Amino acid sequence: MRLVQQLGEWFDERLQLGRTLREVMEHPVPRQTASWWYVFGSAALTIFVFQIATGILLALVYVPSGAEAWNSLQTLNQQIAFGWFIRALHGWGSNFMLAVVLIHMAQVFLFGAYKFPRELTWIAGVFLLLMTLGMAFTGQIMRFDQDAYWGLGIGASIASRVPVFGPALVNLMLGGPIIAGATLSRFFALHVFVIPGLLIAFVGLHLLLVLKLGVNEWPMPGRIVRRATYEREYHELIQRDGAPFVPYAVWKDIFFSGFILLCIAACALLLGPFGPSGQPDPTIIQTAPRPDAFFLWIYTLLSYLPPAAETPIMLIGPVIGILVLLALPFVAGEGEKSWRRRPIAVLTILLIAVALGTMTQLGEHTPWSPVMDAWSSDPIPTEYLKGRTPLEHQGALVFQAKQCHNCHSLANDGGKRGPALDSVALRLTNDQLIRQVIQGGGNMPAYGKNLSAAETTALVKFLETLHPPGQEPARDASRGVAVGAIEEQPSPKQR
Amino acid sequence: MTSPESPDLSRRGFLAKLGLLFNVGVVATLSAPILAYVLSPASRKSNAGYESWVPLGSLDHFPSGQTRFATYRNPVVHPWDGETADIPCWVRNVDGKKFQVFAINCMHLGCPVRWFPQSNLFMCPCHGGAYYKDGSRAAGPPERGLFEYPNKIEGGTLLIHAGEMPTPVSRACNKSELVVIDS
Amino acid sequence: MRHSILFLLSLALAIEVSGCNSAPGKPGPESKVLPPDKILNFDSLYQQNCAGCHGAQGSGGAAIGLNSQVYLAIADDATIRRVTAEGVPGTAMPAFVQSSGGMLTDQQINAIVTGIRTRWSKSNPTDFAPPSYAALTPGDPKRGAEAYATYCSSCHGNEGRGGSRAGSIVDQSYLSLVTDQYLRTIVIVGRPEIGHPDWRGDVAGKPMSQQDVSDVVAWLSAQRPKIPNQLSSSANSSEGGTK
Repeated sequence: MRLVQQLGEWFDERLQLGRTLREVMEHPVPRQTASWWYVFGSAALTIFVFQIATGILLALVYVPSGAEAWNSLQTLNQQIAFGWFIRALHGWGSNFMLAVVLIHMAQVFLFGAYKFPRELTWIAGVFLLLMTLGMAFTGQIMRFDQDAYWGLGIGASIASRVPVFGPALVNLMLGGPIIAGATLSRFFALHVFVIPGLLIAFVGLHLLLVLKLGVNEWPMPGRIVRRATYEREYHELIQRDGAPFVPYAVWKDIFFSGFILLCIAACALLLGPFGPSGQPDPTIIQTAPRPDAFFLWIYTLLSYLPPAAETPIMLIGPVIGILVLLALPFVAGEGEKSWRRRPIAVLTILLIAVALGTMTQLGEHTPWSPVMDAWSSDPIPTEYLKGRTPLEHQGALVFQAKQCHNCHSLANDGGKRGPALDSVALRLTNDQLIRQVIQGGGNMPAYGKNLSAAETTALVKFLETLHPPGQEPARDASRGVAVGAIEEQPSPKQR
Repeated sequence: MTSPESPDLSRRGFLAKLGLLFNVGVVATLSAPILAYVLSPASRKSNAGYESWVPLGSLDHFPSGQTRFATYRNPVVHPWDGETADIPCWVRNVDGKKFQVFAINCMHLGCPVRWFPQSNLFMCPCHGGAYYKDGSRAAGPPERGLFEYPNKIEGGTLLIHAGEMPTPVSRACNKSELVVIDS
Repeated sequence: MRHSILFLLSLALAIEVSGCNSAPGKPGPESKVLPPDKILNFDSLYQQNCAGCHGAQGSGGAAIGLNSQVYLAIADDATIRRVTAEGVPGTAMPAFVQSSGGMLTDQQINAIVTGIRTRWSKSNPTDFAPPSYAALTPGDPKRGAEAYATYCSSCHGNEGRGGSRAGSIVDQSYLSLVTDQYLRTIVIVGRPEIGHPDWRGDVAGKPMSQQDVSDVVAWLSAQRPKIPNQLSSSANSSEGGTK
């Protein structure tokens, strides 16, 4: 023990860091902030360090080459002892980091911590969020599989819509004319050097600001932030009711960080690594690309935007979003901090959370995507075929063979792009069915040229059988009258 | 402390500024090659060119009236590109003489469209874009038809002018007359 | 004391290492995704490409059941291979082999053909002798009408216009969508799972003869329209309401 102390003294004599470190550790924090609400920032930092460590471990094996990356991931998964586990830790760490960063941000927003004088801390935080998202996106590219390949295609398609510079931007992003080895190399550089370097710098700035300006005090309803008086009031609060960070508050941070790491390890152990899916071979077109969980909401958004508004919203939306975040501390730099007196802030957070959650949930199910092999893999339920005429059976075959099933579901199987057809006969009459099949419309292609008259007849006959037993199918009342009139007219002449 | 006005310090200050200026000059000189290096993927297009005529194979592979899958090796390629440089496309033999070659990429967000000969439609698995057999838009979010590569026939081989990933803003498909050179 | 701590630590490490090796998250060899053209597993291939029309277990779909002893007895491997690879023009059966515009390789077609045979062919072919897959002699429409009256009219009604138990089989649209071979196969094999008997069951104890089948098919084929009928009339006509 004595030896350790001597060694420490020897180093401190030369480094002279001991006093600074002690000051940092013992900087006074308001007593009430030693709370479980104040642990998310330190947890994000812990995960970041953890991600650096696991990332370095992966880099020992990973090959950032278009031709080899996928194979090296397979080697990690299959051959190297615990390679799969390190991949899983890094992948789950990424998800947890984003989640913790978002929670941290919501907490800071709700507690008014971005207000004077902590504007710059908030701005650094906004950039940290963007970089974390950048790490998640580039990390998804590192898992160089089909999802990564077509995800890059989606990125390129969005970049191409930038006015004037679009095509050049696409080439810059891809590092050449197509998605290939050069693309992976530059995304590797971004993921491993550029963004982590920036992250470290901004984390440093963020932490420095937290130390210089002090931890945001627990917001009290009615305690108003004013530029003129805030710093004096905070100083008085610290004098009156402060406590050293170590050990007064730190133990909660330590326990929560450990808990988060344990959660990551448990997820990695139980759920395993993400992918990789199929090889990044563009000639394999039997694929349905999906982004990772944290980008699913964008995928949903892109499918629901009206085509005309899509390009402007895709290009201007993110800029506006970032500007709003950056402007927040300047627009609302003073005033009430407590969320109890800021209903709009609370509603904003709730709205964003519900919107993102809903869109992510939709992105999991992708009801707008056709199911590309439903026509050949999802059978029509046998009860829909029993007791039907031979023509109706042929209609069922037309339904399958013409890929109707890819967009329309029967008994919940098949695509959800178009309406489910289990009870279509209740909604559409014979004439309306024929018109819809032939002319399409309402986001359905016109099948007029692609169906023979017999095929259309058979298909419509089959569709007319699709109604629940006991409910009469829709029929055109005027047709009955007209047909009746024709039948009645000749009858007197015959007599 | 000597005041900043002292002649010695102002001379030193001037030298420091001169040194800074010198470094700015060095960096400016260096920045030209660095910028050229960084921007090379976007600028090389005008020099060597990304696109050239690539063969898709013998005409026998593309029966008249049908649309078939074809792949080619991208003309600009590195050994470490691996399978990513094998690019797929759809070849439609219109009537035995006229050909249409469509890019695989949906013109919404670039996902791979699949051809269904039964319903004569191209469908996209991502957001449900659909195209008719001539590549025109049928349904879904795309704002335009499929990208079409210029093509020609030489010595019984179908060639297309390709080499760059088509994006929604790639120039509209070449509708001009087809170059047919009989062997 | 120190030794026991070391021992406990190493024990924990050993448990962790061995536990992790059988962790539920560990990807197995099957996690490596095969390119779609390398899949030769019959179940995946059948599920992906055939189940939509022929039913999840080879029966109960909109098309003829492949899990049918009669079908497997009359159709040889070459026939199943040809139909799978190149499809049947004029019907809903598409071509699946790449050289005909499909997505499957020759090996995958073979895997499907052998899979259908080994998975579902159970009975001894000598147990019963169904009529042959292809017609041996040309059928006669006149005799076909009589054979129809004997074997089929109890369900499909007078002259095939539909009866109480089954729909019309002389509907012009229906006949335009099926080939003679399709008619022949369905007469022989039937659709037992949705109520259509095979060639033995039409009249109890009196199976149709080779010639009966050919004749009925010829009779049906003779009623097929030369020019595909117009949409508007046929769409409403098959119920017989506006005739």
